[in-house]
Amino acid sequence: MKKNLLLAVCSFLILFNSNAQSKVFKEVSDEISSQVNAIMQDGALVGYLMFTQLEKVSEDSFSYKISIMDENLNDIGVVNFREEKISLQSVAFEQDVLCLAYLKSNVIGQKFKKLKGYKSAAPTANNSIVTQFLNLEGKILKTNQIAVDIKTSTFKNNEGFFVGTGSLDHGIQLRNINQKGFALFYGDKDIQQLVTYTSTGEVLWKKNIDVAKYYSLFTTPNDIYMVVKKKDKMDEGGYEAWSYATADGKQYPNYEMKDKEGRSLKILSFDNDLTTGNLYAAGNIINPNKGNSYYTAKDVANGPYDGVFTISFNGHNKGDIKEVFTYWSGGDLKPEISTRGRLMENKHFAKYYHCSRDFNGNTYFAGTSFTKRPKIGAIVASVVFLPLLAPPILLAGLGYNKCYGKDAVILKQTPKGVLSIDNFVASSHPHVVVGRAPFEGFVNNKTFYHVTNSNTKSNYLIIDDTKNITLYNINKRQVTRTIPHKDGKIRTNVYPAKEGHILVSEYNQKEKYTRLSIEAL
Amino acid sequence: MIVPPFIMGGLVQINMYFFKYLQHIVPLFIFTIIFSDVKSQTPGLYTYQELSHLYYAKQNDSIKKNWICPKLYKEKETQKKYSEIWQDRLSFISNAINTKDFVYEKDIYNYLSQIVTDIITANPNTITKAPLILLDRSSSVNAYAIGGNILAVNLGLVEFASTREELALVIAHELSHNILNHADNSIKERAELLTSDEYKATLNSVLDSKYERLTRLKKALQGYSFSRSKHNRYHEADADSLAVVLLKNSKISFDAKYFLRLDSADIQYKKTLKNPVKTYFEKYSLSVEDWWTQKKSKGLSTKSYNFKDTASIQDSLKTHPECKERYIKNLLLSDGGKTTPIPQIIKDKTKKIIIWNMFDNQNLTACLYEILLEKDKGNTDVWYDFMFHNIFNGLYYSDKQLNRFNAINVKPKEYISKDYYELQNMLEQMPKENLEQFAKKLKEGSFWQGMPSDAKALKTLMNTIAFAEESSDKIENNAAKEFIANFPNSMYCEFADHFKKK
Repeated sequence: MKKNLLLAVCSFLILFNSNAQSKVFKEVSDEISSQVNAIMQDGALVGYLMFTQLEKVSEDSFSYKISIMDENLNDIGVVNFREEKISLQSVAFEQDVLCLAYLKSNVIGQKFKKLKGYKSAAPTANNSIVTQFLNLEGKILKTNQIAVDIKTSTFKNNEGFFVGTGSLDHGIQLRNINQKGFALFYGDKDIQQLVTYTSTGEVLWKKNIDVAKYYSLFTTPNDIYMVVKKKDKMDEGGYEAWSYATADGKQYPNYEMKDKEGRSLKILSFDNDLTTGNLYAAGNIINPNKGNSYYTAKDVANGPYDGVFTISFNGHNKGDIKEVFTYWSGGDLKPEISTRGRLMENKHFAKYYHCSRDFNGNTYFAGTSFTKRPKIGAIVASVVFLPLLAPPILLAGLGYNKCYGKDAVILKQTPKGVLSIDNFVASSHPHVVVGRAPFEGFVNNKTFYHVTNSNTKSNYLIIDDTKNITLYNINKRQVTRTIPHKDGKIRTNVYPAKEGHILVSEYNQKEKYTRLSIEAL
Repeated sequence: MIVPPFIMGGLVQINMYFFKYLQHIVPLFIFTIIFSDVKSQTPGLYTYQELSHLYYAKQNDSIKKNWICPKLYKEKETQKKYSEIWQDRLSFISNAINTKDFVYEKDIYNYLSQIVTDIITANPNTITKAPLILLDRSSSVNAYAIGGNILAVNLGLVEFASTREELALVIAHELSHNILNHADNSIKERAELLTSDEYKATLNSVLDSKYERLTRLKKALQGYSFSRSKHNRYHEADADSLAVVLLKNSKISFDAKYFLRLDSADIQYKKTLKNPVKTYFEKYSLSVEDWWTQKKSKGLSTKSYNFKDTASIQDSLKTHPECKERYIKNLLLSDGGKTTPIPQIIKDKTKKIIIWNMFDNQNLTACLYEILLEKDKGNTDVWYDFMFHNIFNGLYYSDKQLNRFNAINVKPKEYISKDYYELQNMLEQMPKENLEQFAKKLKEGSFWQGMPSDAKALKTLMNTIAFAEESSDKIENNAAKEFIANFPNSMYCEFADHFKKK
């Protein structure tokens, strides 16, 4: 089983399937549904959890099974319980206690034979958030419930049932608070609320939060941060950091994410610093004039960003928040990066997607580089056919530039703000596209994330493009491994795993099996 | 995991942990590129031709030809089910022979065969025909009878047993299963039960219920399992009783304490080392950093957990009576007769075959741990140094193949000793640069001087594969073919097989 999570749940049935009437087993197994969640603590993966709805046990309740696995995918325990219809939303771990947050509803996820059934149930829908606290002996220490107001609707599924649907305006976010307990955030039709719990499930405090467009929850041992995005004149800006004391929920002054000249900031990463554990934000400084044009390659080449920033939240006083802004136009950077952000070494443009920090406090910005060239043929053709009117209009519509997606690029910003091009990392290039093509999916074919190993104080950047997965050691500035997505009949993908590791999934198309392996970097 | 009905297990209670890992090993064996086997032509160890796929090829053909399912039932459905289970048994043994599960090693075979002969000679009326004895290379402490007069003895049992009399008890127990037709009867009983109206009605009633269908289904199946387990336990008790009679007639002494000793059979990795893990590497001038052996992960594996729901298998579902129960039941039959230690040469060969097989199955931590335990006994045989090299070469190769994790086969800490845990951590956490350095350094070890030519050639093969600039099927295939051509009888051809294009 170990490496085949989903099979495990049905092993009992499969075992006997060949020996009995398949109809019975099929019908019973069709009622079983499972999902696998990573168990997180302080941003690190500490285990896996499989949540399974086993069967309906009465008119309105079901039996559930929670199978807990360690970070090596070894089973360590199972917990069974009964509840009304619930769906698992998030899991966190602290002080040997698992906190599971569910959405419970007598309408959402329920099947109704007739539309009338749904219509009669919907007005009195009973929706709530359930938090369940489990210790490592399998004992449910506490269960809490918060009533929520959700707008529901319905759809007809393949079996002809009307299924209730609906979701919170702002989905449940759950994080552990180091040495304290857990923090949970949600937003329904009426309120946005932050709730903190001790590790045994006692509510520490609740707080209603102001309105914003998006919210992200982060925690440190002493503070809870809500990074929110509000409406702003810059589409990608409008971020603020709202912070609260873990002990009593006391709110500190909000921090508006802008540079000293009032330029909006685009956050690429908000994370815990590896050495201090404090939070930091990093990303791009948005150009106030061109910053709302970032959709196409041509837009990006025009320079929607003025530079990069790192903000360290070391406390709540002004002096405790360390801001480092580095502008393309900064004099020291002239030789390497133009005022529009162009990389002078190879005349490439770039768009950045991911930031990470090393153990020395340097911030790395990873992105996709690309080039833009004029379409000479189109320009000449337009001139030649100018008298005919229609062809030049058509050609102009397609644009006179073409773009080539190139290698990944990594910028390094020191704690003092010195910025340099750290490296270009070879990666697969997408097909050439016109300058007006959307940047995402056409010019950028990469996703980025990072893995750290605190034992070796190493930082790795994982660059996942359409052809390969590249593991890049940031400290040694070298590629340690390139894994092709497709090698013969084997299709490989990698996912985050326990600290310093990646989860490698290899699917053999010929033999129809998947091999999972957790490999150190 | 459920034991197939036709397997009558040995004296050992097979616990769920064993099955869990068996489940891991089987898919690994099937699904991964198996990095395996090295074996030197140490005098007395087997040849490639003595692996079961070749050595028992004729017997395998004969089994396939002659094991014809008898027609016992008028009801078509029951006969069909009976045929299916019969066929499963045939496939089980045939596949096991084909996948080299068994080996013919002359000394071990003769030793076991002599015990069987002694028992048969003393019980001519009870046992009329000598069984086909198969040496299973598995390290698990077990033996099994599957009917058809086949007796399989795991080398793990030979290694575990301390005296000839202990082995004789297990063998007599398995012979008793064959004498009492337990395997054949089990197949019949299962076919009858699965096609019975009562069983079908029970299952169909599940669909009639609106709620708790899974629970009802489980209850129905558990009822069946309980019945079978209970039956098996009667079978085991019967086999115990008959085994003691067979031994008495054979003048082989019996001591009920053997049952108690078997109770500890599944704690093989709970044994501790005499020295800290890092000291075993000093001999090879390999430096182990302390942090490699220390688990710093925040993962749940490092926590103290105790989920009661999954702690143990329900007593009612166990296939064997408790060892203590068996001890008490047979205590009065102990005769206090003399015991004979198993010859050292048998022990040595058994250990080597097991270690080699672990390596071949890519179970590298367990394999290395066995070597360290052997070193604790003062064993200076260079073959173990050779295997030490193979393990690190194999691990390095696995790492390159993104398969180090599976090659280590991480076991939860509660099933292993502190030393095993440290070794496991080390193999998992040591940086790949150090792993490469270990593999390269061991390549140059002085112990190679004492190794035969096929072992040295195997080193060449392994290094060609592990240190190739870019892994290529063609390079691997050519190197494997060259080895096989030069050493066609070497047991290490088994390793080459994994890289030779089929």
